[in-house]
Amino acid sequence: MSKVWQIAVREFVATVFTKGFLIGLLIVPLIGVVLVTIGPRLFGDRNRTVEGEIAVIDPTGVVLPQVRSVISARRSPVAVTELIERARAGDASDMVLNALGAATRLTLVERPAGADVEQEKLWLNEPMPAAPHLALIVVHANAVEPTLGSSNLGSYDLYVPPRLDNRVEIAVQGVMREAIIDARTDVRDLNRTELSLIMSVPRVRSTTVGADGERNTVFGLNIVIPAAFMGLLIMGVMFAGQGMLTTTVEEKSNRVIEVLLSAVSPMQLMGGKLLGHMGISLLAMSLYLGFGLVALTTFSLFGLLDVKLILYLMIFYLIAFFTIGSLMMAIGSAANEMREAQQLMMPLMLAMMLPWMLWWPMVQNPNSTLAVAVSFVPPINSFGMLLRLASAEPPPAWQVWLSIGIGVAGAFAALWVAAKVFRVGILMFGKAPDMKTLVAWVRAA
Amino acid sequence: MSNSAIELSAVTKTFAGLTAVDKLDLQIPRGALYGFIGPNGAGKTTTIRMIMSILLPDAGNLRVLGLPSALEAKDRIGYLPEERGLYRKMKVAPYLMFIAKLKGVSERGLKERVYAAIERIGLKGVENKRCEELSKGMSQKIQILAAIIHEPALLILDEPFSGLDPVSTRLLKDLILAEHRRGATVLFSTHVMPQAEEICDHVVMIHRGHKVLDDPVRTILRPHDSRALTFEPLDGQIDLGALHALPEVERCIAVNGHYEIGLRDGVSASAAMRSVLGVVPAARIELKRRSLEDVFVSIAGPDRGSAGGANGKAVAA
Repeated sequence: MSKVWQIAVREFVATVFTKGFLIGLLIVPLIGVVLVTIGPRLFGDRNRTVEGEIAVIDPTGVVLPQVRSVISARRSPVAVTELIERARAGDASDMVLNALGAATRLTLVERPAGADVEQEKLWLNEPMPAAPHLALIVVHANAVEPTLGSSNLGSYDLYVPPRLDNRVEIAVQGVMREAIIDARTDVRDLNRTELSLIMSVPRVRSTTVGADGERNTVFGLNIVIPAAFMGLLIMGVMFAGQGMLTTTVEEKSNRVIEVLLSAVSPMQLMGGKLLGHMGISLLAMSLYLGFGLVALTTFSLFGLLDVKLILYLMIFYLIAFFTIGSLMMAIGSAANEMREAQQLMMPLMLAMMLPWMLWWPMVQNPNSTLAVAVSFVPPINSFGMLLRLASAEPPPAWQVWLSIGIGVAGAFAALWVAAKVFRVGILMFGKAPDMKTLVAWVRAA
Repeated sequence: MSNSAIELSAVTKTFAGLTAVDKLDLQIPRGALYGFIGPNGAGKTTTIRMIMSILLPDAGNLRVLGLPSALEAKDRIGYLPEERGLYRKMKVAPYLMFIAKLKGVSERGLKERVYAAIERIGLKGVENKRCEELSKGMSQKIQILAAIIHEPALLILDEPFSGLDPVSTRLLKDLILAEHRRGATVLFSTHVMPQAEEICDHVVMIHRGHKVLDDPVRTILRPHDSRALTFEPLDGQIDLGALHALPEVERCIAVNGHYEIGLRDGVSASAAMRSVLGVVPAARIELKRRSLEDVFVSIAGPDRGSAGGANGKAVAA
């Protein structure tokens, strides 16, 4: 045991007391901070201007003036403020809100009511126009008033040129929506402002009433907490797995491995490396978890966290670490260099990507068939089950215990396979092994 | 307690259908200094790895320091592998301390021991240098130090002289002899025959997985060739024509500053010596002795393509 401990201590010290570790440790929260604070400023193209011409064919004769009016109003800041108010009142879709991010400088090209639509479509693809031709709009005859014998109202047909920015289409649709509603209220002699006022019910903010008191409900926490726990688990496992893979490949390529094997058995070496890197990733996870808990306490949100989740995090971490970490170390032992290791890692990396790809549907419906299935399939069951445990609808206890049982069995199987590959691979140099060779090693060792 | 440091009995190892070591028997007594020679691919490293329990034999029995496996005696074995390296980012003294601790050396006094050992090999001042900062020769010395830092009872060195300059070679030779004097059993493999001849008590040669020589060095080198003389002229210059004209002489060739004179069939060596001395004054004239290299080439040379068919001395002339 003391030899295993010596190996573990060396791995821990050689990794933790390096600049690389500190940088690696800081890079994840740093990316988070960048995404949260600077990201929206970087990605949000607020200066984007939707500029160009839209042609309108209006058989009703009442929509066109409203289009003209909306376009001119859209250029006024007062009108934009009003639109925002109406959007908040639920009077506009998300698309309109998105469109508000882009300033509109549309120029209306009025076409006769009886214009040939096919002929007008050619206008969209005219070469080298003075201003971009953004859209051709053909208002339906029943857009404002229903036709005889029907109670339905129509809308309009929208034709656009190829490769048109989505934001342009959103802006055009916003303009047409406003114009048609204005036309409809005018025809019926209704007061649009009053209607908007009547329909305006501001969104309220709920108050969460708990055993420990009341607090403002934090919207989205039921999504953020499961994602944070799953992210922490993936980060911890990958942190350790990547470290074990890299150091094993390095020890092999440095040819220090045989010196080590003269002092310890392959199993002692593997055990020491597992222990050392488990310590490293537990340190990293503890730091992140600590930061998270401090943040929750600072914002008086600690009470929203079920402390049992930390216990589950540890249980599922150990399962995932021994399953994935041991397989990554086996891959490291089989490869001669990192490039080969990356090729062998591909199936494992694909498996590791699954929780990321499935987290959104799983967090929205934690008891769906997909979520239940994922929480029983090693090596990703730990991620799936932890996500469900942290969600708003935790799974029944029997599913948790079954997932732990399957996970432990999977971890033992992975350790068994990894030990066999490690024992043979660690002294194999030359041609990189393929999957078939790895299977042969498992059988032979 | 067994008197053998290493005992191999019918040990066999096969890789993908190729027999690297075939029914090898070997006994190395405690305190002996053995050379392990053989051409490339003969099975030396595989044998050494099996002795070290890094590889497990497919068949046969193996005992190391009286125990059934080197795994049980690793702390008493020093090993320098053929393919060796260091942790590049680790500093020299911590590296040696790490290896020593793995070998069961107590932490107490370890630092002093490591510093003294580094000074002993003439590298004082490198203790806090990273291993990647060392020259190749310095690295080799540190690797050798790592093999003996725990004062092993059995020292196994796989090609320890490869890549060393003459000064380092001399240093290593002294280290090996010092370990042997301390009482350690030493087994080292080498391609450098003069060194094996100079250092070893006993030589084992392996060829194509079979043992083809297992004798004390003095026994191997004892036979003289009565049909050849080694001749060193007194003034360094000789008249080859006069030598060739002698009826006893079949040929005369220069070899590394001396001459080898081949004698005709039926000629008495003593009569030939007298004739040669009558023509050219000599600093030295003697019957040609076999070198270990001669033995090696005679067994593993290209004209002995099928050598090594038996596990014994049949091929070792």
